[in-house]
Amino acid sequence: MPPFHHLLAAPLEGSGWGMPHDASLDGWRIDDLINETSVFVILLFAIMVAWMLWACFFHGERHPARYDHGTSRRSIAVALGIAAAIFFVVDGHLFLNSVLVWKHVFGNFAWAETQKETVRIEINAHQWAWAARYAGPDGKFGTQDDIVTLNDITVPQGVPVIFQVASTDVLHSFNIPNMRVKMDAVPGMVNRVWFTAKETGQFDIGCAQHCGANHYKMRGVLTVLPLEEWKRWAEVASANSARAYDAEDKDAQWAWDWEKHARI
Amino acid sequence: MHTTEQEDLQPIHPEPEGFWPKYVFSRDHKVIAKQFLWAGLIFLFVGGTLAMMIRWQWAFPGKPVPVIGPLFLSDQGGAIGPATYMTVFTMHGLIMIFFAITPILIGAFGNYCIPLMIGARDMAFPTLNMLSFWTFVVSLVLVICSFFGQLGAAGAGWTTYPPLSTNIGTPGSGQTFMVAAIFVTGVSTIMGGINYVTTVIRHRAPGMTYMRMPLTVWGLWLTAVLNVLFVPVLGSAALLLFLDRVFGTQFFIAGAAAVRGGGDPILFQHLFWIFGHPEVYILILPAWGIVSDILSFFSRKPANWYRGSVYAMCTVTVLSAVVYGHHMFMTGMNPLLGQGFMILTLIISVPAELLFLNWLRTLWQGSIRTNPPMLFALGMVFVFGMGGLTGLYLGATATDIYLHDTMFVVGHFHLTMAAASFMGSLAAIYYWFPKMFGRRMSERLGKVHFWWSAVFITLVFTGQLISGYAGQNRRLYNPYEYSFLKHLLPLNRWTSYSAFILMAGQLVFVWNFIHSLVAGARAEMNPWQVGTLEWTIASPPPHHNYDVIPTVLRGPHEFADPLVKAKLGRDWIGQAEPLLQELPGSSTPAAAAGRA
Repeated sequence: MPPFHHLLAAPLEGSGWGMPHDASLDGWRIDDLINETSVFVILLFAIMVAWMLWACFFHGERHPARYDHGTSRRSIAVALGIAAAIFFVVDGHLFLNSVLVWKHVFGNFAWAETQKETVRIEINAHQWAWAARYAGPDGKFGTQDDIVTLNDITVPQGVPVIFQVASTDVLHSFNIPNMRVKMDAVPGMVNRVWFTAKETGQFDIGCAQHCGANHYKMRGVLTVLPLEEWKRWAEVASANSARAYDAEDKDAQWAWDWEKHARI
Repeated sequence: MHTTEQEDLQPIHPEPEGFWPKYVFSRDHKVIAKQFLWAGLIFLFVGGTLAMMIRWQWAFPGKPVPVIGPLFLSDQGGAIGPATYMTVFTMHGLIMIFFAITPILIGAFGNYCIPLMIGARDMAFPTLNMLSFWTFVVSLVLVICSFFGQLGAAGAGWTTYPPLSTNIGTPGSGQTFMVAAIFVTGVSTIMGGINYVTTVIRHRAPGMTYMRMPLTVWGLWLTAVLNVLFVPVLGSAALLLFLDRVFGTQFFIAGAAAVRGGGDPILFQHLFWIFGHPEVYILILPAWGIVSDILSFFSRKPANWYRGSVYAMCTVTVLSAVVYGHHMFMTGMNPLLGQGFMILTLIISVPAELLFLNWLRTLWQGSIRTNPPMLFALGMVFVFGMGGLTGLYLGATATDIYLHDTMFVVGHFHLTMAAASFMGSLAAIYYWFPKMFGRRMSERLGKVHFWWSAVFITLVFTGQLISGYAGQNRRLYNPYEYSFLKHLLPLNRWTSYSAFILMAGQLVFVWNFIHSLVAGARAEMNPWQVGTLEWTIASPPPHHNYDVIPTVLRGPHEFADPLVKAKLGRDWIGQAEPLLQELPGSSTPAAAAGRA
């Protein structure tokens, strides 16, 4: 083979450079905010480029320069006016929507915690896997009937799912792009994140924080099932975990009491 | 301060004789500037090569790397393994920031421009200046040691977050060397910063009021202020991390099960970003200043609302200290605190917009000359525009949830910190090369270099923005392990091709730079017809810069003045050049006002 044969390899066929499919109930709030901001951003950038091109073509060497320091009251007022307009419209839109989205959805654990069917999962991240724990029928974490899985999280469709995320070694970041959620897993802290799945199916769970050589392999799978099907799955999974329970294996018995008032 | 006082403060010292004091352990700011420039350019090449390795890995994961593979990776069959990969992107980031951009923009042009442009004979502390460079050399040695460290070079990412950066995640000596290198280079930067700050305050020529300083000096001076204030914070973070690594302390180690410790990993992130966010302005303020001047010089028109640009840069400098929390939205930060950092972050866009408007309005109704320095200045405005606008999404807590730690962030900060400071550095190199080396660079090759670089640097970082928008997380050895990223291989491959072409295009610059050094046409005193002080003396300037310290009469951007045109028959006038009744030494009201 010639030494540079890889350089000759053509790019593969592909399509769809947009955001990954949104399978969550509230992800559109982020998507819309990104897309609305893009309208402003692209418009501002286009004006800037057009201005520069116009100046370079029509105010070139042959054009006589105007002796103007731009310090007239009117000139400064125009500059401040434009800056203020951009700030209040573009930045203001982003700010208000971010505050509202956090208040009503992503930070609204008070609501998520009080829903009847809410599913609670503890995530213990470590190099390089996601260990997950569900409380099981008794509703208590750290008991024999807990459902324990690795890199494999099954949740029901249409009900809030709350994760409490921690790490035993280095920083990780629990990331489900299709659900538009992300939260760092920090040793010594318990962080929270929640979403509601809109669609059933299988989705990637990734690590978003560099955590060592195999960071790229820290992939888990999120399976969303219809609620009734999920309940049957949970029953079987709990029985299986109880059978596999080994009182001697202390490492496998990580858990914490569900923190109702964690910081996020 | 009057002329005699400045003459007393800065007497002419004889030029040192002999090779060592003249070229190696020199205390002359112009020689030290060139030393920093050479060091920076060499490490820019190293950092660029590492970037090509990352791009190769994303285009052809796990395939043997051409050229570099057989030379450095023969033990891995010429391919990059996951453990090597993490050292490659870590060293790329650290080298580019601390050992390429910093020495070029701040070490070289800070040293070269500040004394010359304010009419001083040297820095306030020439010996400290020399020490600053040689301390920097010590840190370069530590960087080189890191490459040969057991278990490879540093691998915890340029942000060096613990616990990964402690012995738990990266036990090799390469990481320790790099933490030490950051500390030592910080010491060098602080020495330089103190020198710059003092020089601007104490050594301005008579009549060189703050509001007559070239914007280049303003940018470099504000950068120096930020360096003096915030590099010590980085120093303490690096020192504490060093203690954790070497002496078993637990400042940044905590954990529930596998790792027990009483410290706090998030504490490091606070220290790091209190430095780290000002750092992005540290890297861009010199380029902002240089570009603000060059846009005026080559539009042959006064800089629009000079004071506005000064106030905008000062406001950014102050605000840069209070926005850092937006790097930590995903750490479990209280949402209310996140909102506070979000509003502060969005406010910083206002002075940046004013600066942009000033740039655009400086061009308007100008008489634009498209020499290479101007092209690179315009390129800087273009890429910084993209970088600045894409920052909006990341400063807001809602949109950041999805985009945090994706390639979108990588694209954004490369457009602002890499592309913009690259363009700014090259504008500066093409612009001051005749003064520094007494020869002209080729204009034609300069233009080829500009278009080549501008097109492909935009493609590279736009490719990164798009892959990030599509969800690709940063620092993935093989992104295609994830099913939702598999389709991005062609995009990443095209982006990589753009990067390889960009890198190859730099050969044009290397040839132009080296060929012009030896065989370029002799440069006259003032090839660009500009009024700032450095262009009133020989190219290259004598050891003591100014035989007589000049008396400054006006601002740096006096172009297209009809009165000057009528009296002198040209469109520019020097900052210290008398016109009509203004005679040097006579205290015109304007000259006296700013220096009471």
